[in-house]
Amino acid sequence: MAACRVKAALLGLALELVAVLPAAGADVGGESYLPTPYIPSTNLAVDEMLRVADVGPDDFVVDLGSGDGRIVIAAARDYGARGLGIDIDAELVALSTENARKAGVADRVAFRQDDALKAEIGDATVVTLYLLPNLVEKLQPRLLAHLRPGTRIIAHDFGFADWTPDRQVMISKNYYLYVVPATVAGKWRIRAELPGGEREYELDLEQSFQRIRGGSRVAGGYLPAFDAQLAGDRIRFVLVENETSHHFEGRVAGHVIEGVVRSGAGRKRAANRWRATRVAS
Amino acid sequence: MIVTGFRAVLWLILLWASLPAAAQLAQFKFDVPYVPTPYVTVDEMLRLAGVTDKDFVIDLGSGDGRTVITAARKFGARALGVDLDHNLVIQSEESARQAGVADRVKFLEQDLFKTDLSQATVITMYLLPSVNLKLRPLLLSLKPGTRIVSHDFDLGDWQPDRKTTVRKNVFLWIVPAKVSGQWQTRLPFPPIERIVELDLKQQFQQLQALAHLNGVPAQVWEPNLTGDRLSFVMVDTTDRENEASLYFDGRVTGDVIEGEVTRGVGAARSTVKWRAVRVKR
Repeated sequence: MAACRVKAALLGLALELVAVLPAAGADVGGESYLPTPYIPSTNLAVDEMLRVADVGPDDFVVDLGSGDGRIVIAAARDYGARGLGIDIDAELVALSTENARKAGVADRVAFRQDDALKAEIGDATVVTLYLLPNLVEKLQPRLLAHLRPGTRIIAHDFGFADWTPDRQVMISKNYYLYVVPATVAGKWRIRAELPGGEREYELDLEQSFQRIRGGSRVAGGYLPAFDAQLAGDRIRFVLVENETSHHFEGRVAGHVIEGVVRSGAGRKRAANRWRATRVAS
Repeated sequence: MIVTGFRAVLWLILLWASLPAAAQLAQFKFDVPYVPTPYVTVDEMLRLAGVTDKDFVIDLGSGDGRTVITAARKFGARALGVDLDHNLVIQSEESARQAGVADRVKFLEQDLFKTDLSQATVITMYLLPSVNLKLRPLLLSLKPGTRIVSHDFDLGDWQPDRKTTVRKNVFLWIVPAKVSGQWQTRLPFPPIERIVELDLKQQFQQLQALAHLNGVPAQVWEPNLTGDRLSFVMVDTTDRENEASLYFDGRVTGDVIEGEVTRGVGAARSTVKWRAVRVKR
């Protein structure tokens, strides 16, 4: 395996090699399988990935395809984070461990030889990807299934094909930030203390990644959920009833949402609690 | 002369028939028909503009005065409404008295194109697309940072800085500083001074930027102009072994930009003050 890996200092060179090499890729289970070449990201790219992901001391950064370990080491050294690097190549894992020791961050980082598609990643608060598109695509369902809502995924050069990034930054190269969305699709029963008294709504939500839309059927009509947004486990939307807007903001935890609803506008805005429980998925 | 019963009825019919015609005639007197903005949208416009008690709001085509009165009553702002319709101005003044905000608001019966807008920090309007476009040069000449909110109708190819949809589309524009031209700045990062020449072209708040770093052409990334606030990123390649991004952030005042520039990220970053002067318009 390790022997197949292409070590190239330049991304352009590496891509050229990939283009030339398909014949060399082993055919595994009828599917053409080409190992990901090891392309060291420049220090600049490492800087941007960690900056755009807003890494801090409370973060646990998992780098899938960690190469010589530079992303994980920079996260620990420059941002005080803890980190884990996963790479299939045992030599690179050994090199990373040595590099971490030299950088004086061995107590806060670890490197493990494992398959990025199988590794245990559920504790990550940030996942960094410096991989080729085919592997990024293969990883997507696994990341969505195993990562907690709110976990940031930062990809470099290649993003996910059908998932619109929450933020995109272009500084020499493209950086894509994705925030793992909570699962909110389905029917929710909302109970809210509104200025006019307690009110119940049944809210129907549709979801595609972080994009949500929906509304509430009420006696005599339908209240669309305006400006509905989902960022990780944070949800917000506006219901307008009797010429008053109710701005709902809350945190999703499994089958419960809890938060604050602000009614009206300006200084006379009333803030009250609301709670929703899922009644159907 | 005694008016017979028949004649009285005839007079009444004539009076009734003439009313809509008179109302129609009144509409022709003005460029914009009187269509009141729903209260929910008034709230949303003022909320999107971030109106506070430090603001002076001018409502162009103030109708029955609801936006001006809401700005004062709910947001604590001072506000001025202008309208061509004498009756609506009188009605607005009366409503302001009843709402207890007469000391903080004013209504003028005058042409909005002849109104001095220079003191406004926020402009609200609900006019027609053609009137918006006619008004645009006037709005662009306002103090950078002045916020403009409208609903339903936009300002043509001047893209809004923000947009929300709460029942209707509400748009926010922030008057951009005039930054087109050539700028020069010196950055005292050791070991050598960097001279940055910046070429800016602007279309409203959208920027096209080109730079030279110590005489070498350099890309400008993520340029952003919001009011008088200018930010952009350059990659400092002066030291090939130690490349890093330069994050510029400054405030534009006439022909001077002053602010801070940070080199690098995380624990490795350093920040200095920067000052650029416009050398050519």
